[in-house]
Amino acid sequence: MPESPKMIGRVTRCSTRGFVGAMQISENALPVFGSLCQAEAQGGRSYVVGLVYDISITDDQFARQLAALDEVPQEQIADGQLNRQVPVEFSALAVGFHDDDGFHQSLPPQPPLTLASVFSMVPNDAVDFTSELHFLQMILNAPQLPVDELLATSLRLSAQARPEEERERFLLQAGREVARLLAQDLTRLENILRGLRAKE
Amino acid sequence: MSDSSELDAYFGPKRDERPLGIVLDGSLSAGLQVKLDPRYAIEKLAVGRYVVIQSRITGSTFFGIITDIALGATTPDLLHHPPDAADTFLLDVYSGGVAYATLHVSPMLMLDEEDDQPRPIKTIPSHFSAIYEATAQDVARVFGEEDDEHFYIGTPLDMEDVQVNLDLARFVERSSGVFGKTGTGKSFVTRTILAGIIRSGLASTLIFDMHNDYGWSIKDESGREYKGLRQLFPDGRVSVITLDEATSRARGSKFDGTLTIGYEEIEPEDIELLASLLGLSDIQTGALYFLYRRLGKKWISKLLDEQYEEEIQNILESGRIVGGTLGAIQRKLESFIPRMGFLVPGEGSKVVDDIFQRLNIGTSVVLEFGNYGNTLAAYVLVANYLTRRIHASYVHRKNLAAGKKGEEPRPLVIVIEEAHKFLDPSVAGHTIFGNIARELRKYNVTLLIVDQRPSGIEDEVMSQIGTRVTCLLDNEADIRAVFSGVSGASALREVLARLDTRQQALILGHAVPMPVVVRTRDYDQRFYAAMGMDETNDSAGQKPSGEDKLFPD
Ligand SMILES: Nc1ncnc2c1ncn2[C@@H]1O[C@H](COP(=O)(O)OP(=O)(O)O)[C@@H](O)[C@H]1O
Ligand SMILES: [Mg+2]
Repeated sequence: MPESPKMIGRVTRCSTRGFVGAMQISENALPVFGSLCQAEAQGGRSYVVGLVYDISITDDQFARQLAALDEVPQEQIADGQLNRQVPVEFSALAVGFHDDDGFHQSLPPQPPLTLASVFSMVPNDAVDFTSELHFLQMILNAPQLPVDELLATSLRLSAQARPEEERERFLLQAGREVARLLAQDLTRLENILRGLRAKE
Repeated sequence: MSDSSELDAYFGPKRDERPLGIVLDGSLSAGLQVKLDPRYAIEKLAVGRYVVIQSRITGSTFFGIITDIALGATTPDLLHHPPDAADTFLLDVYSGGVAYATLHVSPMLMLDEEDDQPRPIKTIPSHFSAIYEATAQDVARVFGEEDDEHFYIGTPLDMEDVQVNLDLARFVERSSGVFGKTGTGKSFVTRTILAGIIRSGLASTLIFDMHNDYGWSIKDESGREYKGLRQLFPDGRVSVITLDEATSRARGSKFDGTLTIGYEEIEPEDIELLASLLGLSDIQTGALYFLYRRLGKKWISKLLDEQYEEEIQNILESGRIVGGTLGAIQRKLESFIPRMGFLVPGEGSKVVDDIFQRLNIGTSVVLEFGNYGNTLAAYVLVANYLTRRIHASYVHRKNLAAGKKGEEPRPLVIVIEEAHKFLDPSVAGHTIFGNIARELRKYNVTLLIVDQRPSGIEDEVMSQIGTRVTCLLDNEADIRAVFSGVSGASALREVLARLDTRQQALILGHAVPMPVVVRTRDYDQRFYAAMGMDETNDSAGQKPSGEDKLFPD
């Protein structure tokens, strides 16, 4: 792996279709919805590429008690958010893998193992990975996910990973690919396409 | 794939540019459906353009022509949910994907790997074969080189450097036609082709020149003067015979003879074709034959001249014809024949033999009608009269040749304008022109018909027309007629309906390897020179350039 990716957690549950990672809370290392991450697999010979589709923080007794108070002291809040017993959990959809031949947009041959390190993807890799768009189909096929939001956000982030002057072209190309995949449902297509342009 | 360098030699180096699109659908009879690559602007393409299709599987190359351009959408929903026209991103995403353009391409020729020249297609390229705009080199190879028998007629649209050459031997081998609305350039292109035929020596031509368009000095509506065939070939290869000496002289035409037809030379068959023009009923037309039998060679004079009243009276008394019929015939002939100065009592100038001799030594004859060209009946009468007799001479000559008792007559092309008057369904079955069109080249005589209303021509005759040169037509029936008997050409209708109003023509049939839209060659000094005309002491020619300059540098 070139550059130095930031570790965002470790795998707690997984299958070839995706994995769930957990970490101690820390706001600036929190994975972002729609972003790409990589988890070590096959003893470090490959990485599974995941697309973050869910981030959850489960409650515990202490948090519920604090929440019921009229006023929570600042230091209690900071303590509750940072030094939690229950970690932040994020779920990622497997959309490809990386091996000696580079990136592939298909399901990985093996899932990562438990406690494998998960890294955020550096912009260069994100650009490299999204230079092909087959993974859009994998997103669309995922059951029970906020697919449309996920698609739009991930493409928007991929665009942002690119130099300013290339973003427009990338979005157009991606938009066309989405249009090709969703040509039968124009209302849905139009929503996603609007999502591509939002919040720039 | 066998030897790709051979293909390269033929087609030039392999294309590396992006294809226009890929073949998605189609059939041999209906043509190919091609999806346009979204990177191409549909507006830059045009119906009539040439394309080359490279088979994905075999590498064979097909030549085709764009016959239609259409917009499509992957879903009919697009019509109900069009994107917001202000959202350019949405518009950009949609175009080329959900909304796309298709080309309809008629494949025309193919090059088998083992062949070195294009041949008609018997199959179509496979799915997803790539299609390219044809290069000048591709097109030039299809239409071959100009030589003695291949005559440069014009250039494909948008390809000024490429020549389309007519195979003249094939052109004269079967009857052919030049069609188009008035003012679209029929006479000009006909004159151009005739010059080519005359120069090639492949056939003599007999031109019934209704509007003084062919012989000597043609003026267009702006008063510009163009040279006639007699001027292009001053060495005697073209004779002008006039029917109207006074007008020809007034126009300053040079002519080689004057045609008069004697009353005694006219036969009922010559008048029959005029029946509708003179208003003769069927009964009256039938009676002409009876009168001819009874009155003999002088029948016209006897019908017109009171001095023969007694003989006419006798016929009436015989009861074989009723007074009303006879009177009507007399009245109708009286209103026409004496007004035609070239029709003379007694015997005429016996010019038929003379014309036949000229044609037979390879001289073309322009029959100039002068002011009589404005009288359709005069035109029909003379064309019919001469053609019947000359054709009879050809049949005779041909039969002698078949019995080894004489030489083959020289091929002859007879040019008639307003052809539907000679070939409409009510008369084509039994006129000389219908026969000539149908008997093909059996007697070495073919027609070149020039007409603005091809729908008026009998279907069977139309289907015998080997080469069709068609300028703009906008009447649906006429367009249909031009394509009758041409397989798969219906797609070319779109092309035809979109020709410029002038000097553009769709050529299809026998004399070209594939249908082609051309801008016809300019009929100008350069053309005269190409025909071998020596300009040096020709005062009517344009001034050499430079002389007009006020301040020559
Ligand atoms: N090849 C040509 N070269 C020069 N002018 C042409 C040519 N073709 C057509 N034209 C112009 O178009 C006009 C109409 O052509 P013409 O042959 O008389 O039409 P049509 O016989 O169909 O009524 C001509 O008078 C001439 O000005
Ligand atoms: Mg004309």
